[in-house]
Amino acid sequence: MNKKGQEEMVGFAVILVIVAIIFLVVIGFVVKVPNKSNLESYEVESFLGAGLQYTTDCEDYSGFMDIQKLVSYCGEENLCLDGRDSCEVLNSTLNQLINSSWNVGEKSPIKGYKLQIKTGEKEILSLFGGNETYNSKGDFNEFSDKGKKYEVSLVLHS
Amino acid sequence: MVNKLGQMKIQQMIFMVLAVGLLFLLVGLIFLSVAFRNLKESATNLAEKDSMLLVSKLANSPEFSCGNAFGTSRINCVDFDKLMALKENIEKYSSFWRVAKIEIRKIVPSSEVECKKENYPNCGVIKVLDLQVDSLTSSSVFISLCRKEVNEFGFYDKCELARLVVAAEDKT
Repeated sequence: MNKKGQEEMVGFAVILVIVAIIFLVVIGFVVKVPNKSNLESYEVESFLGAGLQYTTDCEDYSGFMDIQKLVSYCGEENLCLDGRDSCEVLNSTLNQLINSSWNVGEKSPIKGYKLQIKTGEKEILSLFGGNETYNSKGDFNEFSDKGKKYEVSLVLHS
Repeated sequence: MVNKLGQMKIQQMIFMVLAVGLLFLLVGLIFLSVAFRNLKESATNLAEKDSMLLVSKLANSPEFSCGNAFGTSRINCVDFDKLMALKENIEKYSSFWRVAKIEIRKIVPSSEVECKKENYPNCGVIKVLDLQVDSLTSSSVFISLCRKEVNEFGFYDKCELARLVVAAEDKT
């Protein structure tokens, strides 16, 4: 009789273990949270592509220049037709584009940014904002003008 | 006495089988409800992914792209004039892209004024397609919104920065 009681207790314990395992599996399914990033890399890529085509208010003899042309114009240290420094126009235009496109801040998904324009080893322009973090997404765009190669890169920290 | 003990044992076993059966049924129901919820979620995710894929190629489709109208061929360049023409004839395209909403919003210079024939190009929002249905989270890409502008020296290309926004219909 004593042995029978022991057997029933073991059976009960086995059932409890099975139920616990099933509940753990179910809870695992319920709690699983999809991993989704707030910042997609194609957004950075498209920003650089579209941003370089933006028409600025700096004019040369052929008309208003887009950012891409203004980068090489700034690289050659030329002035706009109205006498303004092309690098200053480039700086203010890029600042305006970034600040209007990305909401950078401590409480925002984007904590900071870094935009760099280089030709070879020479840095033409560098813009920083916000804070640097270990989680970042970025892209770069290369183009050539008058035999010089230019590289525009943007990194966003999230 | 032996017969009664046997009957009791059978009863005990029946109760146990019933209890375990009910337990498995309950767990099965919970599992099924979670599985169905996941199915709904995957359908939503798929629709969102579709609109994300669509938005990344829509700007370069013949209905939107600048083509060679602004010099060389450009990527992510949308022709503002073409867009206005498309907006006027959108009923022919209402089911073409299978999305609930296609919208373009100028970022620089920004404006909340909706674009119509009367105020073109001094506006900021071009509602190309709006089926007026519940929509999922929208996906967007940056585009260059280009048009021909005229000044005292003649025509020139004017490109502004904008966002192309696409939202899929919420069918759940």
